Amino acid sequence: MQFSTAENAPTFPTVWRHKKVVKTSAPREQQFSNMATRNVHPIVRVNGIHKYFKRGSEKVDVLNDLTVSVPEGEFLGLMGPSGSGKTTLLNLIAGLDRPSSGEVWVGDNLISQMSESQLSAWRTRSIGFIFQFYHLLPVLSAYENVELPLLLLPLSKSQRREQVTTALDLVGLKDRMWHRPGQLSGGQQQRVGIARAIVTDPQLIVADEPTGDLDAKSAGEILNLLEEVRKILNKTIIMVTHDPRAAERADRVLHLDKGRLIEDIVKATTGSV
Amino acid sequence: MPVVSPVILALSLSEFQHLPTRLLIALGVALAIVLVLWAVCEVPLAYNVRNLTVRWKTTIMTALAFTLVLGLMTVMLAFVNGMHRLTENSGQPGNVIILSEGATDEGFSNLGFSDVGDLENQPGVTTTADGKRLCSRETYLVVNQPIENATRGGPQRRFVQMRGVDDPEISGQVHGVTLLPNGRWFSSSGVQEVPGETESAIEVVIGEGVARELSRGRSAEVLATAKNHDRLEIGDVFKIANRNWLVVGVMQSSGSTFDSEVWGKRSVIGPKFGKATYTSLVMRAKDGPEARKLKDLFKKYEKASVNPLLETEYFESLSQINKQFEFGIMFVTVFIAIGGVFGVMNTMFAAISQRTKDIGVLQLLGFGKIHIMISFLLESLVIAFIGGLIGCVLGSFADGLTATSVVGSGQGGGKTVVLKLTVDAISLAYSILLTLAMGTLGGFLPAFSAVRLKPLDALR
Amino acid sequence: MKFLGLIVKNIGRNAIRSILTALGTMMLVFVVTLVWAILAFLNVALSEKNANFKAIITERWQIPSQMPYTYASTLCEGAATKPDDVRPMDSMTWQFYGGSIEKDRAKRGMNNVLFAFSLEPIKLLTMMDDLDNLPSATAAVFGKSVKALQDNRQGIILGRTRMETLKKKIGDTFTIYSMNYKDIDLEVTLVGEFPEGRYNNSAAINRDYLLAAMDAYQQKNGKPHAMANKSLNLVWLKVPDSATLGKITAQIESSPLFSNPQVKCETASSGIAAFIEPYRDLIWGMRYLLAPAILVTLSLVISNSISISVRERRSELAVLKVLGFRPNQILTLVLGEAILIGALSGLISSCLTYGIVNFPPPYGFGGIKFPIAFFAAFSIPLAALWWGPALGAGTALVGSFVPAWGARSVKVSEVFSRVG
Repeated sequence: MQFSTAENAPTFPTVWRHKKVVKTSAPREQQFSNMATRNVHPIVRVNGIHKYFKRGSEKVDVLNDLTVSVPEGEFLGLMGPSGSGKTTLLNLIAGLDRPSSGEVWVGDNLISQMSESQLSAWRTRSIGFIFQFYHLLPVLSAYENVELPLLLLPLSKSQRREQVTTALDLVGLKDRMWHRPGQLSGGQQQRVGIARAIVTDPQLIVADEPTGDLDAKSAGEILNLLEEVRKILNKTIIMVTHDPRAAERADRVLHLDKGRLIEDIVKATTGSV
Repeated sequence: MPVVSPVILALSLSEFQHLPTRLLIALGVALAIVLVLWAVCEVPLAYNVRNLTVRWKTTIMTALAFTLVLGLMTVMLAFVNGMHRLTENSGQPGNVIILSEGATDEGFSNLGFSDVGDLENQPGVTTTADGKRLCSRETYLVVNQPIENATRGGPQRRFVQMRGVDDPEISGQVHGVTLLPNGRWFSSSGVQEVPGETESAIEVVIGEGVARELSRGRSAEVLATAKNHDRLEIGDVFKIANRNWLVVGVMQSSGSTFDSEVWGKRSVIGPKFGKATYTSLVMRAKDGPEARKLKDLFKKYEKASVNPLLETEYFESLSQINKQFEFGIMFVTVFIAIGGVFGVMNTMFAAISQRTKDIGVLQLLGFGKIHIMISFLLESLVIAFIGGLIGCVLGSFADGLTATSVVGSGQGGGKTVVLKLTVDAISLAYSILLTLAMGTLGGFLPAFSAVRLKPLDALR
Repeated sequence: MKFLGLIVKNIGRNAIRSILTALGTMMLVFVVTLVWAILAFLNVALSEKNANFKAIITERWQIPSQMPYTYASTLCEGAATKPDDVRPMDSMTWQFYGGSIEKDRAKRGMNNVLFAFSLEPIKLLTMMDDLDNLPSATAAVFGKSVKALQDNRQGIILGRTRMETLKKKIGDTFTIYSMNYKDIDLEVTLVGEFPEGRYNNSAAINRDYLLAAMDAYQQKNGKPHAMANKSLNLVWLKVPDSATLGKITAQIESSPLFSNPQVKCETASSGIAAFIEPYRDLIWGMRYLLAPAILVTLSLVISNSISISVRERRSELAVLKVLGFRPNQILTLVLGEAILIGALSGLISSCLTYGIVNFPPPYGFGGIKFPIAFFAAFSIPLAALWWGPALGAGTALVGSFVPAWGARSVKVSEVFSRVG
């Protein structure tokens, strides 16, 4: 299915772009060139965050003084045992939750300070979500599911159609776009999920166990697709996973335990953009 | 009194033995079926009740719908009951009423003045101890009374039913009307000189209902000196047709249409309103069968053309409007009830779809389909019964309240009456039957759909 | 508008629930529409007009009003005798003639009786409520019927329902055996039809025929008919304003001509108010007990349905939130769903009610038969077509607000798998 080279890669005819988000990063690259990680400026910066929940009168620490930085275009894996705080971290980066203290920056936005409604608006434009259980609306067709986030943007119907078909084309489901989730296999449903995640052309895609509910073959296909998306569309992807095979595809894997970063493995072999 | 509503409910329940047999059978069968279902159902009712309490918000909302529907029905039936009681209580079983031929209503009847004497002298009419015939000569008319201090845009006058009689004591005996203590019947002249007034006041006795009605709209000054703020009392005066009317007695409430009438001397009232003739003659026979004989006698009477009726028949004909109201109420209740049934169906379908896994487990454990079905049906019946019963209790607070209405044959005329809302065992029995029917209808389809699930599908 | 598709899809998701909710709404809206139709009709009947309104003259003290016909001509002039007395703009006399087309008294019933207004035919066009402002096409048709009644004094005009119940058609000749004018039986020919609406059950005859029949009775029997002195029931006057009415009332009530019996003159609405007064408790109950209780029941039904639907889709709503739907947009989606069901089923209900109730039998009820005062049947006003959707939408809004607010506050973090 896939687009093997950047030449025939689809371009999103997006028209609503955030003014603040600078897509051409060359000048800023130089600006951030002294950063420790990679020679690309970080799109996500998590600075010394704490997160705790209250369980009765007890205070349970989930994340403890965590600092993470994710460069633009990176495919980052988050691993760790249950309760390690990886989903919480994902929630914080995706603006679904707020840290008890510390800062979360995505692009130029300090999202840890945003209000609920600012976050909503920001999420629509900046984040694409992929879930373990796909979370497609059963009453809507694949096309309508992918169109859903676009309804929140100031786009005309024809503009939306263009975006949706481009996204479905990219995930190879153009011929199935009028099927409902119930008529699609798990792998196909997850591809619709990916199409929905990329259709708004977000800066960042977060995936929560995207292969967790799939057989090995479908899982492999989904991971291939995620790599394509990263390569062709130059998306930054953060993926929580339990699956070592999935983690292998990542550029870098962070291991968390008890709310702390215990390992940061950068794979030398992974191709960069 | 409304404050003792639960007591009334309890009393009414004890009245259930007086229910018409068919209704009693229906109620008994319905309750028996519910009990049998409960007894045979292998799935413990506690399972359903527990579920009802877990999703208590939905349960309460559904039950509340039953409460409202049944509460409304109870109040509306109480109204119709009140009207029926009124017409039933008004006719004496031994009485025959003579109207002029063609007239079906006192208001439209004219008896020849000279005919009355001969009519009363027919055999079969009973006499009092001192030899007077128990025969009431009457002129019935409806008059307009301008309402004093009427509000602008509101009604400017009301209708007052007047009955002019010759001998009030005889008429009282014929109609079974007695006066409250301290009252007296009007004098033989029917009028009383009032010091300082040029014109005498007309003496009247009035029913309790009309006493309340006539007291409405009294001015503040009058009210300041009034003995009773809610109704006219002996010694009070009201005005109709530019004359003063003096209350000399109040009739004891008998739950009849006479509660809403003003009685005065016929020879005063008739000419006052230009009605020189009698409208009707009411005579008392020994008992019901004798009254029938008397009626048949008048059917063959040839000296004047008259329309004799048993008084009970006459008032029965006046309940035509009640019947139309009753029909209206049934109609409305049925449609509200259907609306409510759809509501409870929703609840039960949702309850079942939430518990498909439970149903699968129950089936795998070996509970028969029919038992699972009964279990869900009972669940819906529990909501219906509790909600409906609360509705009945709330509705029975209306018992004893009074309301004005009109009884009549539905062809013009009609009497304005004050009726007492009456919640009785019959209406409660109907209400309970209705709530059970609603619960069954609302629960059946969902319960049926529950058992159509295959155990393994349900568990998936 | 972009969300409409989404709302519609969600309604279609659980077809059974949506249908049940819609059916429940339709039933309850139906009942409220019936109740409101009666109340609205009474409101209109009781509302005082400011100009060109009608006044009625009746017997002063007694009900039913029965005046000698000799009063008619003077009353129609507002008892104006002197040149500077005020006269009404128009007038009409009513005599009620009730009878049956069945001779055998034992067989008389609602299927063969009729109650006719005996009047001067031309007044049907100028003095009768609602007939004096017909749309021109209807007026032209009805005008022909009136002309026919004018030309044929033995004619009769019937409303459609009455015509169908009596099984008569235009051109039929039949005898009406009187019920209130003993021995005055009238042989009439059906010459026309009332326009569709409130006169569906009415009948009108030419007053000349009734008067002539009374004269004939007197000649034949040598004495006047018992009703001869009581045959005038009502006189209607049209007056330009209440000052004029005041003057005319004074002229009439001070005139020595009307002493036995005395008469009174009042606005039509005040006359009607007196008849409706005995029903005040019943009307109060309908207005403040029945209708509100049904509306509350309706919002309970809707509320229940929407809370079930919200509870089943909590995670979906959370996904929408994750995708960037703002809390108020979620609220809108849920409310929209409820309101759409409510408004649509309300609309369907009120349209059906309008058709079924107003259409004459056998296709419809021919009005609501609810015996208040002398109103035989109430028809559903055209305005009811918007009551339905408004009622449905309004109760849906009230009923779904709490569950919708619950939906608004679903936690977004609930959607991710619980392993992290």
